[in-house]
Amino acid sequence: MNKKRAVILNTVIIFSFFIVIFRLVDLMIFNHKILANSARKQYIKVEDIQARRGIIVDRRGRELALNLELDSVYCDPQNFTRENEKLGTLASLMGQKPEAILAKIPEQGRFVWLGRKMEPEKAEKIKSLKINGLGFLTEAKRYYPKSNLASHIIGFVGVDNQSLEGIELKYDKYLKANGGKVIVERDAGGRILSSGVITEIKGNNIVLTIDEVLQQIIEKELDKAMSKWKAAAGSVIMMDPFTGEILALANLPDYDLNKGSSANASERRNRAITDCYEPGSTFKIVIGIGALEEKILKPNSLFDVSRGGIEVGGKTIRDVHKYGVLTFKEVIQKSSNVGSIMVGMKLGKERLYKYAKLLGIGEKTGIDLPGEVSGWIRPPEKWSATSIGAIPIGQEVAVTPLQILRAYSAVANGGYLVTPHVVKEIISPDGRTIASFNDRDKIRIISSRTAETFREILKSVTEEGGTGTLASIDGNDVAGKTGTAQMINPATKRYSKEKYVSSFVGFVPADNPRIAMIVVIYEPRGQIYGGAVAAPVFRDIANQALSYLKVPIEEKQNKPDIVVMR
Amino acid sequence: MMRRKRPGFLSLTLKSFLVILLIACVFGIVKLRSDFLKLEYSIGELENKKTNALRERKLLLAERTSILSFAKITTAQPSQEGFIIPDRVKVISIDKNKKYMPYRASLEKRNLDEP
Repeated sequence: MNKKRAVILNTVIIFSFFIVIFRLVDLMIFNHKILANSARKQYIKVEDIQARRGIIVDRRGRELALNLELDSVYCDPQNFTRENEKLGTLASLMGQKPEAILAKIPEQGRFVWLGRKMEPEKAEKIKSLKINGLGFLTEAKRYYPKSNLASHIIGFVGVDNQSLEGIELKYDKYLKANGGKVIVERDAGGRILSSGVITEIKGNNIVLTIDEVLQQIIEKELDKAMSKWKAAAGSVIMMDPFTGEILALANLPDYDLNKGSSANASERRNRAITDCYEPGSTFKIVIGIGALEEKILKPNSLFDVSRGGIEVGGKTIRDVHKYGVLTFKEVIQKSSNVGSIMVGMKLGKERLYKYAKLLGIGEKTGIDLPGEVSGWIRPPEKWSATSIGAIPIGQEVAVTPLQILRAYSAVANGGYLVTPHVVKEIISPDGRTIASFNDRDKIRIISSRTAETFREILKSVTEEGGTGTLASIDGNDVAGKTGTAQMINPATKRYSKEKYVSSFVGFVPADNPRIAMIVVIYEPRGQIYGGAVAAPVFRDIANQALSYLKVPIEEKQNKPDIVVMR
Repeated sequence: MMRRKRPGFLSLTLKSFLVILLIACVFGIVKLRSDFLKLEYSIGELENKKTNALRERKLLLAERTSILSFAKITTAQPSQEGFIIPDRVKVISIDKNKKYMPYRASLEKRNLDEP
């Protein structure tokens, strides 16, 4: 009997074991994949890796665009419970009416933003309200610590960090980073265990050619000039004439980069590269360079401009003052329109056009900023009878301030046309240099001899008897040219008698230039001449810039009182 | 009839020890697993703290950058003109590394030999 029981018991036990083994085989082999996936779904969570744009710094590493991490508040309408008192506090914290907040929350759906990228203190106060259905997500916010500084260069991004203007737009593919995914484990309560992986991906950093101090100097001086002359707008560009590196570029009106979306079109316009104007006398570089390069004239060639006017195509063009007989050098120095037209006629329209194109007129400079325009100059076959009297003095052509600066830089650097640029280097997040723009293309367009001769002529402009004496600075020679141009009245489509563009373009020290600069003031009131309006701005900026750049004064000039060894 | 040999004391002790060891091992593994999880929670909390600290650091760095901007420095000066860049005609900086530059500094008009 006992033996029989033992057999039955053993059979039951063995059978039970078989059942267990079969079940295990079923779970662990046949249904393994399905069950493993089901388990993973319960304890694994896929989270986004935050992508951060690279930062933008000036040539000395000073930060111009950074990232902050701020909280955004969202609402899950299905879990939202309306508590009037808390809602009132929430509304006051968000600077809105309670009804406006309620209007944002739909009946259906599980997600709606209530506020994006809020200040930390505000977010903490909202968190402390503990309103059911409200949640918080951390988002990256682009922050521009210098506010308005270099606004037209840096540009800005939108609320979702989409690039909209300036370097942010032009170099977006380098600055932005693509976010990835990371798998984290969580417990039954939803708490995330240590992820142990990087939760941030950074874009490449951009090093600009801009210098914050020089930028601040030009913005301050331009602002002063704008106030003094009650001008409508203004632009200043400072460039290294040898490399094409833009050291500073400012336009007024400007805008606060942290409130870029609320700036109007006028404030956002980068006039230095997007606005065309008739250059007036600064365009005389074309006839000057052309005549010297073609060996038509020498600096001491004589012109009789004693009549004070010249008739071209039935139109009489006059000088501001009556002069007698002027040398070619004096024609440029005194900015004689009559003399310049005579030079233009000697050069001829084909060669005039050729040298305008050689100096980059009517062509984009290739600057690495969005929105540059080419300006225009008509080909000789489309010139009217008056064109040969207008173009040599800077009428019937449209240029940008940067084009004129680039042309004068060719004189400063011995005859090369440089490519202006604002980005110096692109650096990866781990510090490697991805791209360097230190050696941009430059093309020889005129002989060094022509450049040298014209430089001497330009030096005379800021000396006694010239139109740009107010641009001269103590300690160094300045080479440059004034420009005064009438603006077109859009209503009459004729030259306005009230609206002018005053400009001064030059480089300093004249014989070993460190900076080339153009100052353009649109619609000044009270005074119109480039020599009176723009030249003093050039002088004030150059004085400070040369001091900052530690450019020594020239020995033939005054000796300093104090010498400091560094 | 066969006589069964009764298990000895040593054998009983060994079996009991093995059972206790087995139970201890099971509990040990559970304890280890629990400690491991605790550590993961601690690391998770520390990572959260680190993230918050980094966030705060970014805010502080941004504030510092804003405060140290040249524009702020110039306006922070008490005089109306703000920060003034030295008059380069009166003061000139000389790089002593350049051989052609004078090595000694002087205040000529003040009759001083040393800086």
